Amino acid sequence: MKILRPSNLSRSVGGDLLNLFFLVLCGFLMALPLLYTIFQALKPLDEIFIFPPRFYVRNPTLDNFVQLLVMMGESWVPFSRYFFNTIFVTVAGTFGHVIIASMAAFVLSKHKFPGRNLFFSVVILALMFSYHVTQIPNYLIMARINWVDTYLALIVPYFSYPLGLFLMKQFMEQIPDSLLESARIDGAGEFRIFWQIVMPSVKPAWLTLIIFIFQQLWTMQGGVYIYSEQLKTLSYAFSQILIGGAITIARAGVSGAVGLLMMIPPIVLFIITQSNIMETMATSGIKE
Amino acid sequence: MRPMKFNFQDFLLKVKKGLGDLKLKLNFGGKETTTHIAMEKRRAIAGYVFISPFLLGLIFFFLYPFLQSVIFSFNSIQIGTQGYEMTGVGFGNYHRAFMVHPTFRRVLVESIIQMITDVPLIIIFSFFAANLINQKFRGRAVARAIFFLPVILTSGIILAVENNDLLLGIMSGAIQPDTAAGAVRALELRTLLLETRLHPRFVGYIIDAVDRLYEIVKASGVQILIFLAGLQTISPSLYEASTMEGATGWENFWKITFPMISPLILVNTVYTVIYSFTNPNNPVMEIIKNTAFAESRFGFSSAIAWVYFLVILGILGILIGVISRWVFYHD
Repeated sequence: MKILRPSNLSRSVGGDLLNLFFLVLCGFLMALPLLYTIFQALKPLDEIFIFPPRFYVRNPTLDNFVQLLVMMGESWVPFSRYFFNTIFVTVAGTFGHVIIASMAAFVLSKHKFPGRNLFFSVVILALMFSYHVTQIPNYLIMARINWVDTYLALIVPYFSYPLGLFLMKQFMEQIPDSLLESARIDGAGEFRIFWQIVMPSVKPAWLTLIIFIFQQLWTMQGGVYIYSEQLKTLSYAFSQILIGGAITIARAGVSGAVGLLMMIPPIVLFIITQSNIMETMATSGIKE
Repeated sequence: MRPMKFNFQDFLLKVKKGLGDLKLKLNFGGKETTTHIAMEKRRAIAGYVFISPFLLGLIFFFLYPFLQSVIFSFNSIQIGTQGYEMTGVGFGNYHRAFMVHPTFRRVLVESIIQMITDVPLIIIFSFFAANLINQKFRGRAVARAIFFLPVILTSGIILAVENNDLLLGIMSGAIQPDTAAGAVRALELRTLLLETRLHPRFVGYIIDAVDRLYEIVKASGVQILIFLAGLQTISPSLYEASTMEGATGWENFWKITFPMISPLILVNTVYTVIYSFTNPNNPVMEIIKNTAFAESRFGFSSAIAWVYFLVILGILGILIGVISRWVFYHD
């Protein structure tokens, strides 16, 4: 049976096998923590604290999930509220970021205007600075514009997250200028060029960015800016369940269950987007 | 400090009006423009319009706090009931960071050395992994999902779960060089490698890499994604043409894949350096956080952060200077 279909004819069977070997090896290393989380979520309490620790589970049980459900039922506000908050913040933040950062990246890589280099240097600086130090001034700003305790305080800072701009700019620089010129000659406006030519041809880049920002926002706790219980995020609610002083140890199993549940959405998103980005360049009209 | 007089609502209105004016002048959607501005100027205006949302966010949530922290770093800050009070201490905070703080200098040097050893390993590993999962084979989506796991595992709540976990602590402990098991394994490898008469320093580097394999794998998730996206933006026609001319896979890799991906090697290097310096587990970041929030010495903490920031800036400047020399832009 041929496991690997060679992408070009010059590769030998030995090369295929070598590929397969490395794939399995690296894949195994990376899958270990996931396997471990799954096992941990299924372990009964006595197996979690067994010494020496065991990797796999001997008597799998769903107790941890049942316990988690009970705890979720006892929360102050209905648990669905936390779900809604997290989903809203994540979706709004991700879309806003991808669009705003891409727009800025587009003009930074393909337009010339005064102040362009200065602006890009500031973005790079922003990437490097330790956020602990800007935390307090940031809070003061949020307080001054009355954004404390609103969704805005969580979402809007992500719109201008420098990493996205940096990433998108590097990809957009690879688009040939001639493509944009021909669109301009055909009468397309700047926004149209951006939306219908540049964005489709860097689809792998922004799909990657979506995955990246999504998983950051998804696990964001936002405890500093949010006081009302109705506005808190899922990640925060879960961490309240888990870190409760002396009961932390008793809830080690539940924490495994939480870890597993929180992992599922980013993985699903990843699989969906990855299967969408194949062969984008083949159809985008870039042929030099 | 007196609070800055600033009406946000007013400001937003002004910005909105300004943007509206600009929109009138611009050519959205390819229709005839009403005003005739020179091409160059029009494109410059388009540049500003496209960039303004990002710029606003950057000014409010980065640039202003950034400058504020410069002021903080030259002051001693007392927090009272009426907000905070600053008393100027000149370079006192900086002086204290270098001369008085018991561990700052040592920790700073250590984390730089750590970064220098980690970055090449992470870049090479992630490039290798991205090439592997970019191949065509059955179950490719699953393989990619598995390679993406480290990104998910290093974030937020999952990290917290991992941290108070017994077995994982022991597992990563076993991989650390200072424990007995790790030392023994590395010892065998060391004798083997020394037999090959490589330079001892190089051998030490490889052994270090093997010892910290788990950490390197964990830190390379995002880089793999970026490389993977880069590999997919390379036009297949390039490969078709060169294969037609008789190039082998090996030649294709070095003459097409490698130059085309080189801008992203720069991106990934920058990202890896920044990530290794600013992730919350970095010892210097811990000093900064503890000084600010556990000891409430915010001015001192800002000073340390600024020293740290300038060090990162210097290192990145050197790296970018060196790497951009051979980055290839396809145009």
